[in-house]
Amino acid sequence: MATVEGPILRVDTLTKVFGHRSPVTAVSDLSFEVQPGRVTGFLGPNGSGKTTTLRCLLGLVRPTSGGTLIGDTPYPDLRQPTRSVGAALEASGFHPGRTGRNHLRVLAAAERLPDSRVDQVLEMVGLADAARRRVVEYSLGMRQRLALAAALLSDPAALVLDEPANGLDPEGMAWLRSLLRSLAAEGRTVLVSSHVLSEVQQTVDDVVIIDRGRLVRAGALDQIAGPGASRIVVRSPQAESLAAALGRRHPGRAVVEPQADGSLLVRGLSAEQIGALAFAEGVELHELATRSDGLEDVFLELTGGQG
Amino acid sequence: MNGGWAPLLASEWRKVATTKMAWVLAAIAVAYSSINAGVLVLVATGSIPDLPSGDANMLEDPDYITTIIGQASTAATFVLILGIIAVTGEYRHMTITSTLLSTPRRGRVLTAKMGLYGLLGALIAVVTLVAVTTLVAVALLWFEHAPITASTIATVGIGSLAGFVLYAVLGVSLGALIRSQIAAIIIAMVWVLLLEAILVLALPAVAKWLPGGALSAVMDVGLEADLSGAMTQADRLPPWGGALVLLAYSVVLALFALRTTMRRDIT
Repeated sequence: MATVEGPILRVDTLTKVFGHRSPVTAVSDLSFEVQPGRVTGFLGPNGSGKTTTLRCLLGLVRPTSGGTLIGDTPYPDLRQPTRSVGAALEASGFHPGRTGRNHLRVLAAAERLPDSRVDQVLEMVGLADAARRRVVEYSLGMRQRLALAAALLSDPAALVLDEPANGLDPEGMAWLRSLLRSLAAEGRTVLVSSHVLSEVQQTVDDVVIIDRGRLVRAGALDQIAGPGASRIVVRSPQAESLAAALGRRHPGRAVVEPQADGSLLVRGLSAEQIGALAFAEGVELHELATRSDGLEDVFLELTGGQG
Repeated sequence: MNGGWAPLLASEWRKVATTKMAWVLAAIAVAYSSINAGVLVLVATGSIPDLPSGDANMLEDPDYITTIIGQASTAATFVLILGIIAVTGEYRHMTITSTLLSTPRRGRVLTAKMGLYGLLGALIAVVTLVAVTTLVAVALLWFEHAPITASTIATVGIGSLAGFVLYAVLGVSLGALIRSQIAAIIIAMVWVLLLEAILVLALPAVAKWLPGGALSAVMDVGLEADLSGAMTQADRLPPWGGALVLLAYSVVLALFALRTTMRRDIT
């Protein structure tokens, strides 16, 4: 039951280079869209450019080239930005001497929201009891909840959360999952970044994976990690002629990647199809194996096994 | 746009009201100017031993009374610091992120801060004047003295009101340009306490165009020497001239900041 019309979040050929003397390219020619009514995981190892992308999306970082849109409007041009997008970018953006409740009251004043709304979101994120304590006394998990409360304050149609799971205990994680699911079910756009795949795997509908500022994969989770996305390892003494035959017989479908050890990695075809083709072509096979190409594998490849 | 300035100013006010810094600085401003005024009373009444100037007749000189009440305007430096912290504090604690998410137009944020901190400067000026006048009036009950006239209080009050407002606004624009809190405060202090103090003596013709010299023109209480005793009336701009000079510094610094430091990426 979609009751909110979440905007599409668009990142369009975004490039961001930091620094002049020794420039560092944080994001490079990155394009993707985030659809409403779904939870999208924005994945990549630490330092892959996720935070920079999100900050560009929210008008805090100026792109070197390309751009970002909330629906069809750049964030700084939105009439009521926090009602379109609620964002939680980091756990450290609080004055340590201010209470959690007062932090939200500062934001509420700018949006003409009553204190009752502040108490409502504090209740929603489970901070009601700590509301009148100073932020300096908060744990990392409590700061995350406060940041989330700030993001939810204006009842936004889209949510952008940068590593919201950091510092949350398993119970908090479960709670966050169900919250994100219900927000998406209402029709909102939900974009959640993470460098830990297992945190989001059970929550997201779509994924956008980046590495070193470039897009690696984007699409529905079940397409990327589902059965249709498996890859086949083929070992053959006639690897080259097999590769040529695959390309000839299944143009546009078979994606063949020769590996360093002489084997072939084939996407887009089933093991049966490859076996049949090898038989028909008279190619000798030494190995024909299906490898599950789950999100986990893509991710582990990127993070060098640290994911 | 988010509709009007009132919500933005209300949000800035809550930022001030929910942390200690502004109250601490206001208290310091009141204490500092009260001590200055108190010392002048003690000097005149000979209550400080080993000071040669113990001459109760001094209190019968209306100019000396004006000078004592005029101490209410000596706390401008603390108001300047308060203004500096308005912007630098947001960068220090990274609350600038949520501020700019709520109001992406950085010029609006800076303008709202200049407005609100101007009001805070006015508030501190009033509180300081009331405190100093009350303290002096009570202290003088035991001595013969020239009257503390309404016109003296009004002259000092208008001067320090205008001066504190303009200095708070100047602090905000300075903080916007120099985003590092410590650097901004050190630069301001070195400027006010060292460079200007030297320039006033060495090159008064230049010094009157500088912020400190302009402030002393704004706070003109009609005496020959200004309150620091360094600039004579002939060296100073007229009060309105000083006010315009201070305002010009604030506007130029703010516009420059909006084109340089305030434009930078928030990371």
